[in-house]
Amino acid sequence: MKILVPIKQVVTLDEDFEFTPDNRDVDHDFHIYDLNEWDDYSLEEALLIKESNDSPIEIIVCTVGNEYADESLRKCLAKGADRAIRVWSNELKNTDSIGIARIIAHIARREEPQLILTGVQSSDFAHSTTGVATAGILGWPYAAVVNRFEPDHDFTKASILRELEGGLEEAMNIDLPAVITIQVGINKPRYASLRGIKQAQSIPIEEATPDSLGMIDSEIGESGSASIIKKMFIPEKLSTAIIIEGTPAQQASKLAKIINDFKGV
Amino acid sequence: MHPIVTASGTFNPEQITRVVFQDFSPSTIRFFYVIGYLAIGLFLWNSFIEIRKYMRGKKNGSFKISCLVAGVKYMFSVLLTHRTLRRRDTLTGWMHAMIFFGFSVLLAGTSIITLQYDITAPLFGFKFWYGYFYLWFLLLMNIAGSAFITGLLYMMYRRNWLKPPKLDYTRPDREPNEYDRSSYRHEDWVFLWVMVTIGITGFLLAATRIIWLHDDPTVWGLRWWQPISTVIAYTLMHLGVNSNLAHILRNDLWWFHGLLALTFIALIPRTKAKHILTSAISLIFKDPMAAQRLPRSNPDEVSIGYSEITDFTWKHLLNLDACTKCGRCHEACPARATGAPLSPRDVILSLREFANRTMESQTLPNKAELSVHGKAVDQVFMETLWSCRTCMACVEICPVAIEHVPIIVQMRRKLVEDGDMDPILQKTLQTIHKSGNSFGESKRKRASWVKKLPFEIKDARNEDVDVAWFVGDYASFDPRNQKVTQSFARILKLLNIDFGLFFEGESNAGNDVRRVGEEGLYELLAENNIEMLRKSHFKRIITTDPHSYNTIRNEYPDFGGKFEIEHYTSYLARIIGWNQLTPTRKLNYTVTFHDPCHLGRFNKNYEAPREIIRALGLNLVEMERTRDNSFCCGAGGGRIWIPDVVGMEKPSQNRIREAAKIKDLEIFVVCCPKDLVMFEDAIKTSGHEGHFVVKELIELIAEAIELPTLETAVS
Ligand code: SF4
Ligand code: SF4
Repeated sequence: MKILVPIKQVVTLDEDFEFTPDNRDVDHDFHIYDLNEWDDYSLEEALLIKESNDSPIEIIVCTVGNEYADESLRKCLAKGADRAIRVWSNELKNTDSIGIARIIAHIARREEPQLILTGVQSSDFAHSTTGVATAGILGWPYAAVVNRFEPDHDFTKASILRELEGGLEEAMNIDLPAVITIQVGINKPRYASLRGIKQAQSIPIEEATPDSLGMIDSEIGESGSASIIKKMFIPEKLSTAIIIEGTPAQQASKLAKIINDFKGV
Repeated sequence: MHPIVTASGTFNPEQITRVVFQDFSPSTIRFFYVIGYLAIGLFLWNSFIEIRKYMRGKKNGSFKISCLVAGVKYMFSVLLTHRTLRRRDTLTGWMHAMIFFGFSVLLAGTSIITLQYDITAPLFGFKFWYGYFYLWFLLLMNIAGSAFITGLLYMMYRRNWLKPPKLDYTRPDREPNEYDRSSYRHEDWVFLWVMVTIGITGFLLAATRIIWLHDDPTVWGLRWWQPISTVIAYTLMHLGVNSNLAHILRNDLWWFHGLLALTFIALIPRTKAKHILTSAISLIFKDPMAAQRLPRSNPDEVSIGYSEITDFTWKHLLNLDACTKCGRCHEACPARATGAPLSPRDVILSLREFANRTMESQTLPNKAELSVHGKAVDQVFMETLWSCRTCMACVEICPVAIEHVPIIVQMRRKLVEDGDMDPILQKTLQTIHKSGNSFGESKRKRASWVKKLPFEIKDARNEDVDVAWFVGDYASFDPRNQKVTQSFARILKLLNIDFGLFFEGESNAGNDVRRVGEEGLYELLAENNIEMLRKSHFKRIITTDPHSYNTIRNEYPDFGGKFEIEHYTSYLARIIGWNQLTPTRKLNYTVTFHDPCHLGRFNKNYEAPREIIRALGLNLVEMERTRDNSFCCGAGGGRIWIPDVVGMEKPSQNRIREAAKIKDLEIFVVCCPKDLVMFEDAIKTSGHEGHFVVKELIELIAEAIELPTLETAVS
């Protein structure tokens, strides 16, 4: 049996950075890469399922990205994933989350996993759509923002808890195969030691392309996406915060003055 | 041959000897030999069991044959001077010296008799144990015997009346009802009593012989060559022991003494007495850099660190047996002193018990039963290992060269591999991996503190400089330390020193990452820094950070990076008093100085900071625990990244409490960025705020040479 864990190598930024000349992305020189935090939890969940099952389970991690993304895949391999697939070609540059979901769906058709576990969202773009879109394309059931996952012994059903707003939880049963998007906090992701990551260097990463996955042109890149990024910019500061200091009486009079100024009195 | 002339007559020297087995029937003598051989056989068998145990460990990577001669010399120099045993416990050290030398002479004496009786006389007809040689021998044996017994009696007095706390076997890592160390106490006492008994019966044998053979002028006439035995003989005679009774007594005593001594010998390898052998061997194989330079991991091994007892090197297994339970490390350990569940002694003793339980039998138990990590009474808790601050106080004081720190770090490597660590530590390691520093700041910001300076600093990566300054994480990113860092830059500038920085080329030096046990990350950091340093252009490196100093100086060479590096204190100590560095303002403060572990104990730089302190005219009052006995601030070994248990005293608070005992103390001087952070916090949290302040030595130098404040300097 297989579990597919799509992951994303996200970008974090420093305080100072610049945009690309076309203003559609941050200059790659300023990218700091890391494995998406949510995917750390979905991989851990897959590893825990594998470890608590007697029947052999293969965990496949996959991602869409150039060779920089190998680092995150290696980290997953170091933690115990069995196989890694990285899909890339230059046509994929401006692919949005729907386009990514199409690629994952192709991988899923080829690998036929019983379960797809992925993070609720990515920390850089925060669309929260890749997982559910994949389910939509595959026509599989899905559950999002899951914070407890318990498959039954033959992996045909699972009982889950979903985290809702206001501290509520929703208990559901779901038929497998399904796509589950995992919420942070569901488990405690293990540490991938540098030694483990180094040792994982020797595990080959399969490099696939949209072609090799059998995708057709209309599914690839911008054509397969539902949106395109037109512009990226830093929003103008709308207001500034002031800290009012002094004794309570002083604070009150300062506050009154600010309100009056604002009203134009 | 010259006759021996004495007041009681003139003797033929050949007659002056002791007839061995005098009046024994041949069959009794044979019986005794059988027992003697049996004892030797048992000794060898027991030794074999122990050696087999050590052989079940791994190869000792750091050892080279060429070091053996130096090692043997070192062992003798320690044993002959007893210098490691006299430290922080002088009287006990001297008493042990008496036991040791007494025992050695008595053993050598007995061996000499055997040498003549069993080897040289029957084989070559050569005899030497007579005449003056014999008489001096008697005198020496008398002196040795008295020293031996005196030392032992003192040890009994110490254990029973002085009762130093380090000798009670209380374990900080277990509840009192979880372990039973009474067998240790019993063994200690049996050991003392057996030895004292052997010593006393030895004297009684000599005394009864004098009485028994008082008619023999070669015995009686020369009795004062063994003064103590003779005094005892007179006493016995006074009590009514006559020649006949003495003969009978002597016969019984002879067997008692002989059998006891032989039993003792047979059991040496399996009892407390084994330290006679194991300590000496441990000293021979002492690695003088044990804590300063941690062992490299073998990239070919599937697992890393110490997980099972068979992962230990044979030398570390021997270390476990060399411990004499003297408690010096237990006393010095800052973790133990502040209530953490760690005592270096108990780590060693637990592991010893574990090794004895699992590895002394014919076959090894299966792998699962060999894991040293766990909750059993002879296993080591994860919490215990994480309590260590790798301050080296234990390794430094251990009289028999036991390597607690490498053992603990090796065990941590396994914990790190399994992710068994505090979540915050785990995050920090990931942060260091990602950004190259523990603050999670971008590399570009590493030298952002220079922006405030009114001058530019060269980039040693592409400009030639005399001195390249490795700043380290805390001095670069911590806001309080940045001020000190800026002052130091301005002092260098004032001195017209051609210096530069590595800017974003610098990564965390890795000293503490390595001591956490994240060896892979350490290797990455070290390799990055070494490559960067190699490409840079400098004559020497200086650093304001003792942690970086230690690893660059002592550990980078193992990775191919040999650089000349100095801590700023020794660099400035050489030039203080020159030109611009002449103090223009006398500072009259009463100060005390805290030796940073990594500068003092690790690298033996005790003097330079003190020289500067004196040159500044400060009134230095030392704390009780100073220099090699300096008490760790608690930041070492990655503990700065692990939150301390709430409600428990922190080592830094304990230290501040100690400093507060100094009358009129005004400034607590440090010269390590982590110390500055730790102690400023501790002063606030231990209620000493307002009494005295913590200052980095650089700040005092700046004050003494009247370096204008940065704000005035800029405007
Ligand atoms: S290194 Fe320091 S903290 Fe660690 S066991 Fe030794 S004395 Fe204790
Ligand atoms: S480890 Fe060394 S210092 Fe500690 S008790 Fe044993 S012999 Fe003494």
